[in-house]
Amino acid sequence: MPGHIRSVCVVWVVFVCLMFCSRLTTVGAAPPCTNAQAGCHVLSLANLFDRVIQHSARMHGISNDLHSEFELYFLPSKNQIGRVSRNCHTSSILTPNGKENAQRMAREELTEVILKLLVAWRDPLSHFHQSMARHHDFNNFSSNKSLEISDMVHELQKGVQKMVEKMQMLGIMSNSVSSLASPEALLESDSAEWRLMKNYDLLYCFRRDSNKVQNYLKILKCRIVPEYGC
Amino acid sequence: MATSSSSSSFSSSSCNILLLLFISSLDWLSPPGSAFLIDQDHMTSSAPLEPHFTECISRDQETFRCWWSPGTFQNLSSPGALRVFYLRKDSPTSEWKECPEYVHSTRECFFDINHTSIWIPYCMQLRSQNITYFNEEDCFTVENIVRPDPPVSLNWTLLNISPSGVSYDVMVSWEPPPSADVEAGWMRIEYEIQYRERNTTNWEALEIQPHTQQTIYGLHIGREYEVHIRCRMQAFTKFGEFSESIFIQGTEIPIKESTVPLTVVLIFGIVGILILIMLIVISQQHRLMMVLLPPVPVPKIKGIDSELLKKGKLDDLNFILSGGGMGGLPTYLPDFYQDEPWVEFIEVDAEDTDGEVKEDNRDSDTQRLLGLPELVSHHMNIGCSNSISFPDGDSGRASCYDPDMPEQDTLMLMATLLPGQPDNDEASLEVLATERNERPLIQTQNEGPQTWVNTDFYAQVSNVMPSGGVVLSPGQQLRIQESISATEEEKKGKESEDCKEAEEQKQKDLQFHLLVVDPEGKGYTTESNVRQISTPPSYQTIHPQPEETKPAATTEDNPSPYILPESPHSPFFAPVADYTVVQELDSHHSLLLNPPPRQSPPPCLPQHPLKTPMPVGYITPDLLGNISQ
Repeated sequence: MPGHIRSVCVVWVVFVCLMFCSRLTTVGAAPPCTNAQAGCHVLSLANLFDRVIQHSARMHGISNDLHSEFELYFLPSKNQIGRVSRNCHTSSILTPNGKENAQRMAREELTEVILKLLVAWRDPLSHFHQSMARHHDFNNFSSNKSLEISDMVHELQKGVQKMVEKMQMLGIMSNSVSSLASPEALLESDSAEWRLMKNYDLLYCFRRDSNKVQNYLKILKCRIVPEYGC
Repeated sequence: MATSSSSSSFSSSSCNILLLLFISSLDWLSPPGSAFLIDQDHMTSSAPLEPHFTECISRDQETFRCWWSPGTFQNLSSPGALRVFYLRKDSPTSEWKECPEYVHSTRECFFDINHTSIWIPYCMQLRSQNITYFNEEDCFTVENIVRPDPPVSLNWTLLNISPSGVSYDVMVSWEPPPSADVEAGWMRIEYEIQYRERNTTNWEALEIQPHTQQTIYGLHIGREYEVHIRCRMQAFTKFGEFSESIFIQGTEIPIKESTVPLTVVLIFGIVGILILIMLIVISQQHRLMMVLLPPVPVPKIKGIDSELLKKGKLDDLNFILSGGGMGGLPTYLPDFYQDEPWVEFIEVDAEDTDGEVKEDNRDSDTQRLLGLPELVSHHMNIGCSNSISFPDGDSGRASCYDPDMPEQDTLMLMATLLPGQPDNDEASLEVLATERNERPLIQTQNEGPQTWVNTDFYAQVSNVMPSGGVVLSPGQQLRIQESISATEEEKKGKESEDCKEAEEQKQKDLQFHLLVVDPEGKGYTTESNVRQISTPPSYQTIHPQPEETKPAATTEDNPSPYILPESPHSPFFAPVADYTVVQELDSHHSLLLNPPPRQSPPPCLPQHPLKTPMPVGYITPDLLGNISQ
């Protein structure tokens, strides 16, 4: 009997060790480190960048789909660009409008712009989803996307913040810009503007801004960690 | 993606259908010369076309161009009649500006990098002298009008061919367009490959993906394929132009197949060689075994089962050896003297033997002749010369003095074998009938214990008693253990060898008596020294003939083979002559043999004082007649 119990214990120990080791080796399964926890799997900066860029690409794709669907069903006349009465509520954020401008901008500023954009879109998108849900002719597929997009923006913002922390830890980025720590503070003054925009304008503006975020992130990556995929 | 969602929406509700109708109606309400941003296939051709912009394209997201056409207003087609103005809506206070760079040849307005801003709406306007042609739909943002250039450096490599040789896979690789700044990450491009067979019309499109290589599966051998690629920005809809086509030809490529037969041939060759070696080994197994493990010589008699020898069934053995049962081994005697054709064997007729002997039909001839009971178990050391074992190639006569033969059975065996020869076997056989008057000698022979040797085949007659008995000598030196009075021995052999033999014969002390009973003289009798164990009776039984032999002393000169007389010697080993010369034949057809002389033989004297040398040879009946007189 004791021999049997011992063998069972050995099997259990081995099993637990295997589970633990597999957990350690799998990159994706490891939880991200928050507050410098000990023992968690630390991602490399390049890996972080890749994740963030993939996320932003997906976000931009969904925003593009939403916009085109909206345009198809609620077709205000063909091209609404000329008729946009108001600029997007994010127009106040100074963003570089070209490649050279973006490359000339400092990393910290560029990162700050990204974060500002992401923060600015969290509330309007959730509102958009709620307003869209009331329309019955908005099919479920798009409704799911609109729900998804607001979460996505939030996740992306957190991811970029983590990345900034890592860069600051590695010394790539200076700690001078204080707004990076809490970008939510930027929104206080602009909170009411987006409510006046129509849904279509929201989607149009969001699509543009998601493209901006994607581009800026890619430029940052190819400037800081150009090893993979530049 | 838009088309799929549209198809799914049609099935949802009737409101969608109504909306669609409304949308389509709205389409028809669009003014002519509508904006290039949305592809318009249906345009009313009746109304005159205003000057309009046909297309604005950016290739690298850093610059862009716009093309216009005058429409049906041909008077405005001349360069400079129409001017392009644009509005960049980056602030509410922006103004219309004129095109920074005209290319009149192609009616194109080029915006360089300084005048290009991304994510900022642009609106285009055409102005003639006094009329402004503006369409609200001609507003765009630059990222939406990007159509990347096609990829460059297309090439393909063969991945593999299916085992059936019907289809193959190809890996196509290319480079991104040089105008697109992919390294900086400014543009993220997706590629779409399309291929078709050479002379068909339908292109097959593969899945859009952002990598610069892709595999095409399932191409057929023997057909030529055409492949081209186009790009677009990720998450955008506008594709660039197609690249130049490359052609893929899947011919029979036996490269891989050529290696396969080579390995197969090698394997088969090696297997074949191995099989050949195995066959050789198996077929030549016996020779190899002979080389590797040479056979150990064993005593062997042709025709006799070695088991008999082991078991010591002497009776059976004797029976066989004697040729009994007609299934015996009759062929020894001729085999033994193959090279001496003049030698013949005298067959001893069993009927002539003594009555006592007749009872023992199974006994050896010698026994029958001598009337001696079979004697067993005498220690005899039989040398090589004693063993007239029948010439058998397999038997090993390794040594004349075989130390392995002390056993009684083997000794008996050897005893049964013909004692025949002295050390030199080449002496011719001589049979001579002589007279002997050595009774006393004979009687002395009876004294000591004597070993009985079964000499069935032939025995050397050493002496003939006056009574008619024949003395057989085994011709061996070592056979004798007992003291036996030396008897004269006659040694066959040539003159030259007799010297040696004489000395050897001194050692021998054997004498046997044998009565040769066959008067016909077909062959010759060989003498053998038969030892008598029991004394007189063995001796006495051999006298079937009237013993009126003439005294041996009176020897006649007969043309008989030469005999070397010898004086017997030493108590143990009397020199034994295997054969003797038949001197004469008496009236009763008994052979008279020369008695051996009593005296010690003169050293190396070839001549016996009593005897004259006689030619060695076969006795013809004429001679025999002479002998017998």
